[in-house]
Order: sequence, then C-alpha cells, then structure tokens
Amino acid sequence: MKEPVVVFQDFSFRYKSQTEETLHHIDLTIYKGEKVLILGPSGCGKSTLANCINGLIPFSYPGKITGSLKVAGIETSSASIFEISKHVGTVQQDTDAQFVGLSVGEDIAYALENAALPRPEMIPKVDRAARIVGMEDYLSQPPFELSGGQKQKVALAGILHDEEELLLFDEPLAALDPAMGMTAVDLIDRIYREQNKTVVIIEHRLEDVLYRHVDRIILMNEGSILMDSTPDELLSTGLLKENGIREPLYISALRNAGIVFKPGEHLENINELDIPAYKDKILAQMEASKPYDAPEGGEVLIEADHVDFSYGKGKALDDVSFTIRKGEKIAIVGKNGAGKSTMARMLCGIIRPQAGKIRIKGENYLQFSIREIGRMIGYVMQNPNQMLVKDMIADEVRLALHLNHVEKDVADKRVEDTLRMTGLYPMRKWPVSVLSYGQRKRVTIASILALQPEVIILDEPTAGQDYSHYTEIMSFLEMLNREYGITILFITHDMHLAIEYTDRAIVFADGKCIADNYVSTVLSDKAVIEQANLKETSLVLLARQVGADPDLFIRHFIEKEREERGHGLK
Amino acid sequence: MDLSKRLFINIIPGNTFLDKLTGKTKIRLFFLLILILVATWDMRILAPVCLLGIIGLVSIKPNWKTVSGLTIFIILVNLFNLFLIWVVTPDYGADIVGGSTLLLRFTSRYIITAETLWYFLTRFTKFMATFFVSLTFIQCITPSEMAAGLYANLVPYKVSTIVSIAFRYIPEIARDFEDIRISMQARGMELDGRKTRLWTRLKQNILILAPLIIVSFDRVGNIADAMDLRGFGRGRKRTYYAEHEDTKEDKLIAAVNLLLLIGFVAIVIGRIFFPSTYQVWAPWINA
Amino acid sequence: METNNKKSIGRILLGTWNTRTIVAVAIGVALFGVLMVFGGIKVFTNTSLTSAMVVVAVVAALFGPLPAAVTAGLGNVLADLIGGWGFWFDWSIGNFVLGFFTGLIPIFGARVEEGVFQVKHAVWYVVCVLVGNILGFGVVTPVLTYLFYSSELTITWMQAFSAIVSDGIVLIVIGLPLLFFLANRNANKNNLSIED
Repeated sequence: MKEPVVVFQDFSFRYKSQTEETLHHIDLTIYKGEKVLILGPSGCGKSTLANCINGLIPFSYPGKITGSLKVAGIETSSASIFEISKHVGTVQQDTDAQFVGLSVGEDIAYALENAALPRPEMIPKVDRAARIVGMEDYLSQPPFELSGGQKQKVALAGILHDEEELLLFDEPLAALDPAMGMTAVDLIDRIYREQNKTVVIIEHRLEDVLYRHVDRIILMNEGSILMDSTPDELLSTGLLKENGIREPLYISALRNAGIVFKPGEHLENINELDIPAYKDKILAQMEASKPYDAPEGGEVLIEADHVDFSYGKGKALDDVSFTIRKGEKIAIVGKNGAGKSTMARMLCGIIRPQAGKIRIKGENYLQFSIREIGRMIGYVMQNPNQMLVKDMIADEVRLALHLNHVEKDVADKRVEDTLRMTGLYPMRKWPVSVLSYGQRKRVTIASILALQPEVIILDEPTAGQDYSHYTEIMSFLEMLNREYGITILFITHDMHLAIEYTDRAIVFADGKCIADNYVSTVLSDKAVIEQANLKETSLVLLARQVGADPDLFIRHFIEKEREERGHGLK
Repeated sequence: MDLSKRLFINIIPGNTFLDKLTGKTKIRLFFLLILILVATWDMRILAPVCLLGIIGLVSIKPNWKTVSGLTIFIILVNLFNLFLIWVVTPDYGADIVGGSTLLLRFTSRYIITAETLWYFLTRFTKFMATFFVSLTFIQCITPSEMAAGLYANLVPYKVSTIVSIAFRYIPEIARDFEDIRISMQARGMELDGRKTRLWTRLKQNILILAPLIIVSFDRVGNIADAMDLRGFGRGRKRTYYAEHEDTKEDKLIAAVNLLLLIGFVAIVIGRIFFPSTYQVWAPWINA
Repeated sequence: METNNKKSIGRILLGTWNTRTIVAVAIGVALFGVLMVFGGIKVFTNTSLTSAMVVVAVVAALFGPLPAAVTAGLGNVLADLIGGWGFWFDWSIGNFVLGFFTGLIPIFGARVEEGVFQVKHAVWYVVCVLVGNILGFGVVTPVLTYLFYSSELTITWMQAFSAIVSDGIVLIVIGLPLLFFLANRNANKNNLSIED
C-alpha cells in the first residue's frame, strides 16, 4: 500500500492581490518514495504549487484557498509554516538569496540554529549533511567565493537533517552551467536513492532533468494539470511544444527525420533508444536536406591580439586572440570564472589589457574612454532592472543621447528610429514598470542601440527564462542582426542558445581561449567540451550512434530549426 | 576591483589569542573599554588603554599595509581637529585643565600654553585609544560572531539578524553598485569631477541609486522566504553555529572584564560624587 | 502588495517586524554601509557628499519611522565598522533620530509602495527631513558629543552644521526625485494605449 505524502483535492488558489485564480481545481497525489517532475512554462502556476506544498502559501503570500491540501497528513491552510517545514525541505531557485549564513557551515546549520539546537549536537549534524553533498572541506568558506553549483549543494545540505521526508526543488537548474546542472541532477538522484526521500522537482528544462530517471511528470499550464504520466508517455505526445516546453534535442531530431514513436517505447533516455532502427531514416533525411552554412562576416570590427589580464593571483585572461567581424553572431562560452566575463569587461574598456592589444576598427582602443567605447560597443547587463532608470520607455531610450550631449533634433530622430527598429514605438509612452521581463530586456537593448553601436554584448540574455520568453528575446536579437547588421556577442552557458542563434563560438577555459570555430564544430569536439564544463548535446550522441559526422548532423539540425522558426515568424 | 577586500572586517576567523575568544567575550571587552574611554579624561587611564589597544592590534597580526594607511589618516584628521580647536579657542586649556602657563606667543590672541598642550595630548591619546581598540575589535571579530555575541549580550536575535544579513549581502550590493556605475558610464555618464559641475553630478547620481536600490530590495522577498522556510522566528531562543563554547581564554578575559566593569563604575561614581573642578586631569594640578 | 490603508498611528510608528521587514532593514543597512564607504560624490578633493542617506528615505517611505531609524543608526555603525574609522555613537544616534523623523511620511498619507506620493507628501517629506536633521544633528549629536568627548563647542557646531547641510541636500536633491520615481514605478497604470 503506497503512503501518500502530498494530497491535493480540488485545490484552487488565488493571490490576495490578484483577481484571478493562479491554480484551478488541482487533484494530485504524490506518494512516499516517488520522484516527480512538475513541468510547465513560466507563469503556469508550478512555483505557486511548490509554495503551497512548502507552506509559504498562505504564511507569506495570503490569498483565497478552496479545496484541500494535505502534506504529511497536515492540512496546510490551518498549519504553521514551521510545522510543515519539519516535513518538507525546499531548495529555491535563487542560490544567492537562499544562502543566508555567512559561511557554508552556518548556512547548513541555519534550520538547526532556529530550532535552538545546542551547538554540540549541531556540529555532527552539519558535518554529516556536508559530507552527503561533498562540501565538508568548505565549511568555513564565505558564500561569495562559491560557485552557483556549490551554493546549491549547501542549500541541499541544509535540508538533510533527517526529519524532512519530502525534498522540493524549485527550478534547481536555473542558475547553473551545463556541467553543474548535470552534477546537480545526479546529486539529487543519489540523495533520493540513498536517503529514502520523496523528491519533487519543479523545472522547465526537461532534457537536463531527464539526465536521471524520474517516475512521473506532471505537465502544467495556465494553472491546471494537463497530463500526469511517465516520461515515455509524455515524450511520445506533442504536448511539450504546444505548451512552451523545449523537447529533448534528440527527440526533435528524430521527429525531424519523420519518425513516429510507438506506444511503450523508451524515450526518456537516449541510451535506451533503439537508434539502429532509426538509422536509415535519419541518414535519408540528411541526404534529402541541406546543412546550415554560417554566413561569413564583413569587415573586421574588433581584434584581440595576445591579450593578458590578471586581478592579482593567476591569469584571468591568458594570451587571448580573436577577431570579430561585422554582422557576426558569436557565443562566448565557458564555465564560471573561465574568463568570459573578464573578456566582456575588457571589450567595454572597464579593464584594459596588461599585455597585448585590443583594436577597434584597426585603432588601439587604449586612447578611448569607457564613454567613447560605449558608442561603439554596447553592453547589456543580465538583469534589466540594473539598467532601467526612467519612468517612460522613450525617456529610457533617450537617456544615453542626453548624457552624450546629442543635439535635441538629432536625438529626437534617433529615439524615434530606435523605437521603431525595436518595435517599441507604439508603447513609447508606457511606464517601464508595466512591462514583462522580455519587454524590459528589449527596452534595455533599445537604450543601448540609441547610441548606434556596431557591436552589442549581452550577458546571459535568457538566464532563468522559459522556452517561450527565451524565444521571444532571441528572435528579437536575430531580427536586429538580420535587418540592421548589428554584430552580437552572447555571453552564455546555454548550449541551446548557442546552437540555435549563433554562428560561431569562442570557448574560454582557465583564462585561455581554447576554441574559436563554428558552433557545430565546437560542440562536436569532446576535448573542448570537457575542458570548458560544457555538456555534450544529445545530438552528438545520436549522430555517433548512426555513424554520421556530428558536425554535419548538427548543421542539418540547425537548418531545419531555422526553417521552422522562419515559418513561425511569418 | 574587489570591493569586499577593501572592508576592514574579516569573514574567516583568525587563530590568535583574541581571535579565538567567543563573540560574547569580544563584545563585552570592547564595550567596557569604549565606555571607560568615553568616561575619563585621566591620562593615567587613557595611556594604558591606548597601549593595550596597540598591543591588541599587533597581536592579531593584521594586514599592515591597510592598517598603517588608515592609522596615518586618523592621526592626521585628529591633528587637524586639534589645530582647528586651537584656531577657534587658543587658550582652551584654561577652561578644561585649569591654568594658563604661557609657553609661546604668536600674537596677543594666538598663544600656546602648557595646559592646552596637555589637553591636546590627552585628547589625542583618548581618540587614538578609541581608534586602536575599535580597529582591533573589528579585525578580530567576524560578522557571525558579532551577531552571536550581541545575542549572548541580551540583544534580541531579530536585531542581531539584521547585522548578520547586512554583512552577508554587502559584497553582493557592492558588486551591483560597481556594475551599475560602469554601465551608466558606458551610456555616457561622466563621473570625472573636472568635466562636469557638482550639481549635475549630484542629480545624475540618481541614475545609479535608483536601479541599485530597486535591485537590492528585489532580493528581500526571496531572502525572507528562505529564512521562513528554515524556521526563522520559530521560537524565542536561538543558538549559533559560529559561537563556540567558552574556553580557558574566555574565562580569563571574563575576569578582566569584571575588573574593567568595576573600574568603570568607580570612574563614574568618582565623577558624580567627587567632581573635580576641571575635567582633564594634569599631573601638576591637584584638584 | 496589499496593505490595510487604515493602520493605527502606533502601528505605523513601530512598523510590522516580520521576517520581510527584518530583511528589508538589513538590506537597507548594507546599502547604507556600501554607499557610505564607496558612494561618495566628490565635492572638492578630500571632501565628498555621501549618498547613503537616500536609502533611509526609501526605507522610511516603505516601512515607516522605526525601520528607517534602525536603518540609519545601524547603517552608520556598520559603515564605521567596514570603513575602519572607529565608532562614533554620537553620530549614529543623530542618524537614528533623523531616520525616525524621515520615516514619519507614511503618517501623512504617502504610500510609495502603492504609487501614492504627491506634491503635498513631498512638502511633508521636506519638513520631516528638516526637523529630523535639525533635531538629530543640531541637538542630539552635539549634546552627546559634548557629553562623551567634551569637544570644543564651536567646532562641534561647525561639524553639525555641515552634516545638516550635506544630509539635507542629499535627502532632498536626490531623495525626493527618487521617491517620485519609485512611486511612479509602483503606481497602477491602467490606461495604456498603443500609439502609432
């Protein structure tokens, strides 16, 4: 007899400040010992669902609850969050915000401290939890020296002090690079098995979560549950794309080859697929289609020539050289601390080379101030809120012109041009505060484009965004590149982004530029992938198994995706 | 570049005698010394405390480069203040020490007396003692020990939490501040004082402050949720991982603290019940 | 965020000290410290205006007097700590007083978190800032300085005067536009129209 841990019965919830329900009539039971993925696009209600389970709703977010939700037998609407938190441990999405201790040890001990456990009993518990996640050597480390993945391990250790039977992960992959994401999924799976916990993962990055088996996937959209099934069943349907979820790349590639899945087929893991059976179809499809050819760039805009930089200890940039041509779309990839952010800071002139040279259109850029470089190379920060300072969209776009003392009639014209070019013209009088994340991103890009730079650098433009928001932002950038010839550099660790929207990848590892080539070539190079903490895409695995050249296979895939996107755009 | 390195507080505990005390002991010692320094103008007390401060500072082996720079700065500021006092009231010693033994005369107004010089020496010692004691304290306590120590000294834990959370997010906020400033510069904001008027810079400052404040306060919800989820505010009591049990050293300093407390009470009683005519004690004047 | 519009005066004065308020004040304190140490606006060489006080204006507008006072007071203590220039309790307490008075603006109906901040609130804000400033740095701090350190009074007044002027300038010249900006940002705008 299976013992239920979480039972939703005809459960609905409406936030106090909103007029419509965020969750409608949820019926869901999660049993002890299960591993469940709750999947859905942003705004589908999955985070609200998580907050209902861990008790933040209604404790911190009041609202109207109808129906019933029992967690470990406790009716949550009348229980205190403290009571629920004894049974449910939560790892949140924001790895920085949830690290409230001043050291690893303290953060792991946080719940014990709040329970006023005497220190002698606390120490062994902290040591034990730290060992489970492999952070025992870091106990006295302060948080700002840790990577996102390490912070997440600490958060996980903080809820492993034996009582919690249900572990809840709210978008655990959002802040991690591909290899760290794999490690996280693996760690969650290990703890699930070794510690006999029930695990609920909330995510929209399906392929990454499926790196380890899950028992059930609950697909949500618009506040309701659409499907509650095994991964195999869900993957064989077309529901994912319809609901703004990225299908695993190998599934998309197989569909592209015209393969229709049979019921009961093992689709969850690429290694369990019967790929030889599909070989002919895949190769035939490759024969019939043409591969993507990345366009050649125009004149040389930026040259980095044997550049070195160090913050004091060790080299942050070590003998880096590359060339950027007009109209290119380039991904700058590599793990945290590999040198990609340092490179971006250097291109903007915030820091300058200690050896070697940077040339902009052939001229040594040392003669230019940050301001002057800003007119040639625009930098768009990750969080749009860091850049927005005006109430109205048009004023935000005008600001840089004003600061650069551009004459009024010239500025008027430029503001108008920029607004039209970015599709913001009809909304120009709107306050920035009403805009969605994607629209805000667009405004920050417009505010940089007002200075008419030839190159823009975007720092993680899609971080934390689901597939549809991601597509919105990236299609917009693609349009700017196509229609206006703007050269775009993406600093990213998102491989999907690199495959779909860029032509070239410059890969950093330990301050060195270890690869600079077509994205398809870089991603098929196993040595580069390992060195740079990237993840081998399932496309490469698939190509190898059918005996195709991975590079060529990826290029065919890109072309197909581009065609589909092109249709979508019209 | 790294702003957190420019802060004078250490995050990771050191291993000298003072470092190893509990937060509770450190805070008590510090407060008693500061109270005594505030309460007295007697060189016989000030000089030993100042010396103690210097010994304390040396004992924790601080980063001499930063410490010496700061010390020179503080000495200069203090000397400048003394000079200002002299400019405003050249015969200040007459009021506060009692007497006016002329040593040097520039004009009829600007004179130097032995009493004023003694007052200046006393004041300088007092301020430098405060500085050395504070700096030692800051250098040997970690933010976690401070929070735990405040709690152990009867400050409600909700208040000491403000201290620890503030320290926790200072590096993040400092980094955001730097990033926002740079991005505004790239958009054309001129920060160089030689190129823009003060008024313009003052008004433009809002372009950095507005996003910084919004981004910083955007964190509040997530942090509060993380704390609530792990039982913050659950009971009236709380324990601290960073606050170890009392050691032999703590017991020793506890005895010292008791003596300091008695001394402080004696000074206060002395000043209330046996007030001297002049505030500042001088060796050649018997009140 | 919804709040009851009819909070009692006592409630406004003390503030609601839940986890959220504690964290907000802590973030305010951290911001104050960072700006005090790094956020100086150079006036002449060696003299700079600190923009830290505007943080107090924001906490004041969002959370009321006591949280604002704690932000200002603790912020100053913390800035002294991380700046390394020793403790100056007399000034921290002056800051506390100024923070408290600045935080009175919700009593006059300003609700920045709901987008309500009009000219009359701005006038009250200026009055609160001035009263708090004069009381804090014009009375409390000099008295404490005199009691603690028996400093020369003329110089104490001079320092107090410069603090009143510089904090007044920062709180009004930067603080006021900032409050309008925040209020505008939080206001509900319903009549959005597409224009060609």
